[in-house]
Amino acid sequence: MRLHTYAIIDSSDQVDEPIYGLEGARVYNVPYCDMGAIVSELGAGSIQDIAEQGILAHEDVTEKLMERFTVLPVRFNTIYDGTEGVLAMMQSYYRDFRDNLDRLSNKVEFGIKVIWPSDRIRESIVNARKKSDKKTTVPTDSPNRKFMRDKFEQYRLSEELENRADKFINIMDMFFSKFAAEKKLKKLRTEDLLLDAVYLVEKDKQGDFKEAFEHIKSAHAGFKFLFSGPWPPYNFVDLTKNTDSLEDSPQRDLFDILIQDRELVGTDKI
Amino acid sequence: MHNIAVKSKDVTLLEILDRVLDKGVVISGDAVISVADVDLIYLGLKVLLSSVETMERLRGAPITGPMQEAT
Repeated sequence: MRLHTYAIIDSSDQVDEPIYGLEGARVYNVPYCDMGAIVSELGAGSIQDIAEQGILAHEDVTEKLMERFTVLPVRFNTIYDGTEGVLAMMQSYYRDFRDNLDRLSNKVEFGIKVIWPSDRIRESIVNARKKSDKKTTVPTDSPNRKFMRDKFEQYRLSEELENRADKFINIMDMFFSKFAAEKKLKKLRTEDLLLDAVYLVEKDKQGDFKEAFEHIKSAHAGFKFLFSGPWPPYNFVDLTKNTDSLEDSPQRDLFDILIQDRELVGTDKI
Repeated sequence: MHNIAVKSKDVTLLEILDRVLDKGVVISGDAVISVADVDLIYLGLKVLLSSVETMERLRGAPITGPMQEAT
């Protein structure tokens, strides 16, 4: 029996609300100690046939779970051959999961992408430089010297562009960070994509965070903003894979009992 | 996502793809069965050409996505 895994949750209880995942199959909790893995059974067909639908279903399941539990979303296409496989994985990653569930409890993820008018900003830098160059006398160059000077100018231009990007990002991030527990920022992934950021925000600070976003957006005419969320904290799951974590712990004994007693690790539908 | 402040469904889907296919708990090990390579799933999706994050990594080239201004 192949099991598709959606998420790790901070509960070993079954969920009352019926939730349906890939291929319309009802998802259920495979409990392990004080947490559980949410799975559904897969048919014999290839997952490629249902890829796009499946991806949306996967996300839908994790979002529904997020309303009631702390959720560690599992990457799409993580499939186990039966409950034993899921439990072995839970045993192996227990400490990591526990740490992440504690850290991410009551928090959600927001994505912010900012596109800036890089052409216009580049142009303004060039114009400013031309003005300052007029004040200095430029000697007639040999071709080699001209080549080197052009290269140097290009370097200075991209350096100035980066400086301006840093200034914009610092201001934006100052506002967003005020209401965020953690963040991951990527600067200038492409020349136009000034900022590609994800923020981890406590649930009761979501309103403040959105307000900060609106404030920044209205203060940057000519920039384009993409705001998305709240998401399960996909970007903030941080696994170190402490695989021997259960070996000498009380949880280990409990795991053995669970494995022996299939009633307890059963597959009750949610 | 049903409740995010973007106009374009495609952009929303891209945000989903970047997360669901590439982030979260990534498990490796013998117990995992992989019935389809994740990269192949990407190739089966038309919208992948606009994926800002993952395609850049997969193809090693910057991608300009259909970024939509937030409402």
